[in-house]
Amino acid sequence: MRRLAYLAAGVLLWSLTALAFANIPVGTVVENVLLPALAGGEQHLLSDTNVSVFIFLKPGQEHSNQVMVQITACEKEMAGKPVHWCAVVSDRVPQADVEAQIQASGFTMPVLIDRGDALYGRFGVVLHPVVGITDQDRRLVAYQPFAKVNYRAFIRAQIRHALKEITDEELAAVLKPTAAVLSGEASVARRYFRLAEKQFQSTNYGQALSNLKKSLDKHPTAEACSLQGRILAAQGKSVEAVAVFEAALKLDPQDATALEGIKACKAAK
Amino acid sequence: MIGPIAKKNTMSQPSTIPDANRDARLKRIVICAAAGLILLTLGYPATAAAAKKSEATPVPKMRKNDLTPIPDLQKPVSAHSPYQDGDCSVCHQRKDRSDPGMINKPVNELCLDCHDDFAKVMARKSSHVPAKLNCVSCHNPHNARQPHLLVEESETLCLSCHAAISNLVTNAKVKHDALGVDHKCANCHNPHAASVEHLLIRLPFDLCVGCHGKDGVKDHDGKVLANMKQLLTDNSHQHGPVADKDCSACHTPHGGDNFRLLTKEYPAQFYSPYDPKLYALCFDCHEESMVKDPKTTTLTKFRNGDQNLHFVHVNKDERGRTCRACHEVHAARQIHQIRDAVPYGRTGYLLKVNFTQSPTGGSCDRTCHVMRSYTNSVVPLVPPKTEAVPPKSP
Repeated sequence: MRRLAYLAAGVLLWSLTALAFANIPVGTVVENVLLPALAGGEQHLLSDTNVSVFIFLKPGQEHSNQVMVQITACEKEMAGKPVHWCAVVSDRVPQADVEAQIQASGFTMPVLIDRGDALYGRFGVVLHPVVGITDQDRRLVAYQPFAKVNYRAFIRAQIRHALKEITDEELAAVLKPTAAVLSGEASVARRYFRLAEKQFQSTNYGQALSNLKKSLDKHPTAEACSLQGRILAAQGKSVEAVAVFEAALKLDPQDATALEGIKACKAAK
Repeated sequence: MIGPIAKKNTMSQPSTIPDANRDARLKRIVICAAAGLILLTLGYPATAAAAKKSEATPVPKMRKNDLTPIPDLQKPVSAHSPYQDGDCSVCHQRKDRSDPGMINKPVNELCLDCHDDFAKVMARKSSHVPAKLNCVSCHNPHNARQPHLLVEESETLCLSCHAAISNLVTNAKVKHDALGVDHKCANCHNPHAASVEHLLIRLPFDLCVGCHGKDGVKDHDGKVLANMKQLLTDNSHQHGPVADKDCSACHTPHGGDNFRLLTKEYPAQFYSPYDPKLYALCFDCHEESMVKDPKTTTLTKFRNGDQNLHFVHVNKDERGRTCRACHEVHAARQIHQIRDAVPYGRTGYLLKVNFTQSPTGGSCDRTCHVMRSYTNSVVPLVPPKTEAVPPKSP
């Protein structure tokens, strides 16, 4: 019991210690600094009116290169939405290298230069590459470090959540997708049912009943019981058919096939 | 005017090319050469190109299998119910086993008639191309020598198309035993479709702790591994990729050349001369300058004023402390995953680190050294430019 309580507390703590920049927790309003742009002139890190996505990159680094490709695809997917995009690179990386990497990855968003890693230090970036997302009020709403799996889906969902296009539950469903476990007994039962349906249509009653039994043994449903009743009725076994239809109604009192089947059996008598 | 040249076989008919076209051709060659030179000068960023290339979904070749029913004498392990029932007309034109005729519908349409739950399965975000196009790439619709009507043993079947993984698994110095037990590839992958990329049944972390969240799990060489679930419950300060549930950031699940299936090099020892190559794994995400620059006011909080204490500890020609000397890799009780204690001497006696955090820094007491504290002053808005000092050679 105590072990379980510890485990639950651990999970809770885990969710509470949400990922964030070392110096800027999620929920903080981020200062809209002006930085020199790679293309010339100066540009703000954030938009004062739109959702902003900024990416700390290290051109030449394997993960950053992958992110450049993924973010470019993400930007294209979200074209037309009120999102301000930019990347931040350190002035340590030679400008020619940055430009070459950008060209190779098809990266189109503005690239801002972080002189002396000042912004890196203020945010407490620690890792490269990392994405920050702020809302219309410049509040940091998401922090997404690199992930080898489902990365673009994570980023897209975080942006859509910031744009209020998806709910908390929908975001959670992306961040923690449902497990793709192999089919359970209900699915196998359904297959036997579908096969029995086909065999019933081709008047192969014996095998249809045999497969229905397998289906019902695995996962009893009103639908399967009703089909069993129809087969028995077709074989002229009205008494057994009514019993099976009644079993179907116990599983689903509204099952139309069973209700009609009972009526038909009684009328045939 | 380069059009006419392109249409002609200029190699076999050089004398027929008018001078004007020859000029155009020369111009084109010069432009191409210049472009090539520019690319060479800038250094073509192969890594970015490779990253772009790796985005493309690999399409393994479709298998063509012999789908003839296996005679009962050969003792098939699994059989398809319609075949077992002897009613060929469920799928074929006729009931007659000796002459069933063609199938009634395209293969997958026919399968999904009964296996209709698969319509929902195949709608998942990440789907397996052969499963989407042709169920009989992997399954024999009559019977098979393998469970689930598989045409071959499951791992052999997967690796027959996934040659790169096959090579990796075969040649890896460090093996991952999960690949060869229970459901083999299907321990982690759903061969039909999944909501996670690479057909993973769950996100990497959730898959990994499925096995590594238990006591007594051993690696390929028999070494007992930590119960990660318990370790993370007991230690709230987690490494970024762990907190982000991305084990694959540092580990390669199919096998590899580095210990603990690490994707890149990472020093296994406590002491090591500083060589950036040894830290390839760490520098995949962490800024190398954090260890290279003797002075900084931005790259790390582990500094005394502007004296970079990461540099002081790590960047040494001899007996440089490796990352593991002070940090736990997965999680720790203390901030920055600082270890409670470090192994000391041949017996591995645990020497307490006695790290204490303060609002402006911290201290380590009676550990590798006498009590020493550091203060990282507030980061200035525009730090003074410091001359980068080249790293010491190892």
